[in-house]
Amino acid sequence: MSEYVLELKGITKIFPGVKALNNVHFQLKKGEIHALMGENGAGKSTFIKVITGVHKAEEGEMFLNGQKVDFKGPRDSQNAGIAAVYQHPTSYPDLTVTENIFMGHEMMKNGIIQWKKMNDEATKLLKQLNADFKATEEVGALSVAQQQMVEIAKALSTNAEIVILDEPTASLTKNESEELYRIVEKLAADGVSVIFISHRFEDMYRLASRVTVFRDSQYIGTYNVDEITNADLIKAMVGREINDLFPKPEVTLGEEVLKVEGLSRLGYYKNVSFHVRAGEIIGLTGLVGAGRTEVVESVCGLTRADEGSVYLDGAKVTIKQPSDAMKQGIILLPEDRQKEGLIMSWGLGRNVTLPVISTYAKHGFTDEKKEQQIAKQLLEEVDTKAVSIFDAATTLSGGNQQKVVVAKALAQNMKVVIMDEPTKGVDVGAKAEIYQIMGDLAQKGYAIILISSEMPEILGMADRIIVMCNGKVTGELNRQEATQEGILELAMEKSK
Amino acid sequence: MAGKSGRTISATPEKSWKKMIFGWEGILILIFIAINIYFSIVSPSYQFANILREMPKYLTEVFLLLPMVYILVLGEIDISVGAIVCLSATMSCMASNNGMPFPAVALVCILVGTACGIVNGIVLINFTELPPMIVTLATQIIFRGIAEIALGSGGSISLSNADGFRSIAGKVGNLVPYIFFLVVIAAIIYGVVLAKTTFGRNIYAIGSNRIAAFYAGVHVQKIRLICYTLLGFMSGIAALFLTSVLYGANTTTGNGFEMDAIAMAVFGGVSNIGGKGRMPGAIISAFIIMCLRIGLGQRNTNPQVILLILGALLILSVLLPNISASLNLKKKTVK
Amino acid sequence: MKENKSILKKITGSREASLIIVLIILCIVIQFRSPSFLTLKSILDMLKNNANTMILTLGMLGVLLIGGIDISIASTLAFSGMSVGMLLKYGIISNTFLLFVIAISIGVLCGLLVGLVISRGKVLPIIATMGFMYIYRAMAYLIGNSQWASAENLGDFKNFALGKVLGLNNVIWIVIICYAIFFIVMKWTKTGRKVYAVGSNMEAAQISGINVKNIQLLVYTVMGTLAGLCGALTTAVYSSAQPNMAYAKEMDVIAACVIGGVSMSGGRGSVGGALLGSLILAIIAKALPLVGIDSIAQNTVKGVIILVVIVLNVLTQRAMDKNNLKGREM
Repeated sequence: MSEYVLELKGITKIFPGVKALNNVHFQLKKGEIHALMGENGAGKSTFIKVITGVHKAEEGEMFLNGQKVDFKGPRDSQNAGIAAVYQHPTSYPDLTVTENIFMGHEMMKNGIIQWKKMNDEATKLLKQLNADFKATEEVGALSVAQQQMVEIAKALSTNAEIVILDEPTASLTKNESEELYRIVEKLAADGVSVIFISHRFEDMYRLASRVTVFRDSQYIGTYNVDEITNADLIKAMVGREINDLFPKPEVTLGEEVLKVEGLSRLGYYKNVSFHVRAGEIIGLTGLVGAGRTEVVESVCGLTRADEGSVYLDGAKVTIKQPSDAMKQGIILLPEDRQKEGLIMSWGLGRNVTLPVISTYAKHGFTDEKKEQQIAKQLLEEVDTKAVSIFDAATTLSGGNQQKVVVAKALAQNMKVVIMDEPTKGVDVGAKAEIYQIMGDLAQKGYAIILISSEMPEILGMADRIIVMCNGKVTGELNRQEATQEGILELAMEKSK
Repeated sequence: MAGKSGRTISATPEKSWKKMIFGWEGILILIFIAINIYFSIVSPSYQFANILREMPKYLTEVFLLLPMVYILVLGEIDISVGAIVCLSATMSCMASNNGMPFPAVALVCILVGTACGIVNGIVLINFTELPPMIVTLATQIIFRGIAEIALGSGGSISLSNADGFRSIAGKVGNLVPYIFFLVVIAAIIYGVVLAKTTFGRNIYAIGSNRIAAFYAGVHVQKIRLICYTLLGFMSGIAALFLTSVLYGANTTTGNGFEMDAIAMAVFGGVSNIGGKGRMPGAIISAFIIMCLRIGLGQRNTNPQVILLILGALLILSVLLPNISASLNLKKKTVK
Repeated sequence: MKENKSILKKITGSREASLIIVLIILCIVIQFRSPSFLTLKSILDMLKNNANTMILTLGMLGVLLIGGIDISIASTLAFSGMSVGMLLKYGIISNTFLLFVIAISIGVLCGLLVGLVISRGKVLPIIATMGFMYIYRAMAYLIGNSQWASAENLGDFKNFALGKVLGLNNVIWIVIICYAIFFIVMKWTKTGRKVYAVGSNMEAAQISGINVKNIQLLVYTVMGTLAGLCGALTTAVYSSAQPNMAYAKEMDVIAACVIGGVSMSGGRGSVGGALLGSLILAIIAKALPLVGIDSIAQNTVKGVIILVVIVLNVLTQRAMDKNNLKGREM
């Protein structure tokens, strides 16, 4: 019998236009906790979906306990004892916890579902996980962390031999993370093999014995956690020294442009104040769910704050909808490019000019010539890799899509540019270009708010860092004094 | 920072007439020509003058089609238009029978329609969680219900003095009915607004990705309200001309109009997923269906056969492109 | 605050409970105004006359649960009803059982076709079923060739609606059987769970290995089957088969579902809710004349009730969300 419970060799997965995985390898020992690391877009999530049979690889082989397997669909991998907890909870919001846990493998007797038995079993599982909710509650009403727990309970309920956890700690507080560590360790002790995906180093050091690194869809290497230094690991993940990645220019800061004072919205954030000066980049960070995005959404009129005020150039402004914000010179470049930032089926040019069509229109009639001219100029300015301004946004890579989003901001006369996770799902090369653009904008006198969960990015680009935790600003750090540990401490304040 | 790589991006558009000829519109034009050739061979009475004479009945639905295209491009649906036509027609008949002068009657008809459209719009923009299908289902029942109450136990009303209505049912040179010109003018206006104005562009933006459009500063709710109001307004106009053909109204007036309008639009290449379709296609499809109805009617074909064809056209016009697309995809992945 | 939340949750959380309260209040008010209402006979009559809406509501429940819609059902009903009527009229088949089998088979085929076009052809449900609404209605007309079947044509067949088993009308038995089967399937079988899963989160359902296309196909086929059954039932109950029978019935059925708390966007709804929704609709129709509202105003009242129900749904949901947010500690 093979030394490995799970072994993948030479896996290649191609999506239209992209090689999501290029000849990658992976080996998992019985009972080990194996970290899988890599930047966003490195191919980790795709790899997981190949293992679980959701995607079918174009090339490569997979062995389970030494036997070659060929999963036709997720059902096959479930039957083979593989359970996955995906990054975005894949739960059924309208159904109860029990229904969620046992979906697809209900306890049956003579073709009839045994609800009572299932409820008992679910309660038992939840107790094991120290969950603070009942098996009969509806999953949609639970918090993200609780939903994550339901997903883990689901994985446990199948008595899986291999459990895959995709970024499980991303939205958890420190205490919740500790709880999760305990659960994972217990699983491993029981002989279950765990694949743990994360880009938090803390998770890896705490749990894993070995770590495999992917970069740009390729396999970089597998290391023993005890034997690899932090710097080497970062180098393996990023592919270069971190310093060249952030071309932060020296800028003499100008006047204060945007000031937010005592902003509150019930259930999302409370009493948030900060300010940005011309030419300044401020980093807004915190764990997922800390309320960062929600604050800027209210600043830009996507939602309404209950209290507080926003000042622009010293004058109080009322912003009721995004068009008001843009009129004042504030634009939000949203996190989700495909859903919020771009109209994917449209050409690039039309995407860039959508916010400004009425500026160029005559008596309501659009001036397409002028629009095309402007779009061409702006897209060239941000160096978009595209053939024509009529190419659909779907044909571009993540990095180039982000550039189109940035061009949207340049099309108007803006003072404040808010970028929400601008490098999410962007490959390393394009990341550097986006940082370059960000630096250029600051030099031109734009005030920039950078929202990001990626520590190196925040540390590398921001002049000042504002940390939020659970809806409140918990601290502000200068570029000089900021460290990864310092930020994390502020970001997890509540759970202390 | 301008273009470090010196890359240039082309800004030469593909000619839009080319897109149309080789796209769905081209196929529709071919179908239109084929149908006309077929009928003029098999049916001796299928002549220009006869077609024009029979047209007014069917042209009223084109008034509904125009704003319905907007609604569908928005990615929404309104199934209350038939009921709005019924209510507007009923109210205008009652106004006329109460001795109102015709201009006032016409105003009543259009205002009632517009008001109904505004009701739909206001409910939908204030309760954005609700699907338009279910809201307009409820208002459909209400609008027709109000007409039923107004019509009383008889369930129908006839114009006691149809002079005013006759005046709008007139013809130019005793040949081309007024309504034909009005439909053409309305179609041009609606088509140009959709294709060439910021309003039209915003409609496409909302239909393609409502959230992204909102982030880009499009006044999503305002535009939705305007579109539903326009649909009500045009329903009022349709009701006016329908009454000028029927000289009255009853509880079943306008039954199925909403479905006909949606079917014409979908067959014309307008997708109810939103963001797709152009006005010319919808209008050609309306004329194809009109010719089919007139032609088959002249051949004494059971009118139900036309329903059958309409249903089949509707499904096939969506099904066939889908099938060919999935075949293409398969080919690509095999390669 | 916590208490407040739990009360709200109890009322809105159990949709059926609040519907039962509405139903009881409705009955009491009507009984007060018109004592003839709550007699066994009048209730049984009401059930019999609304049998087709009640049965179709079950099928629509399944369709709406997966986030679909089917507006072709009234046409399917007419097609199957007219087929039965014509077979009887021309004396081709007179065996009641056989006629029911034929009606149901027609329904199965109609539903299967709808399901194939939607699940395999990826046509939007509203568009696909609108197309079939035209087609099946046309078939109902064409099969009758502009004829219709009257009571004397129907012979023994119409007696089915008069017959009784264990003192209860046959038609009501069929309603009960349909509800019992649906209740069991939706609650206690894997198939039922899959329907809920697909409607609640289609992507997750796919990832967990559920064949979404087959569930879609199944749901529309069941819907067609029930519509076929109702074609025969309606012909028997009303002792006639006309090509325009049940015109716009689909709207009543959808309305019953919505009143019963079935979500139009999928994932939410129960057999109990469907039952209560169709009962409330039936009682309103029956009661309006009894409480002095002219039957002519029935539709308006019905429409207003639907509108009020859906708006109330949104408002309670918003209140609940707000309460949840208040509960978030900061």
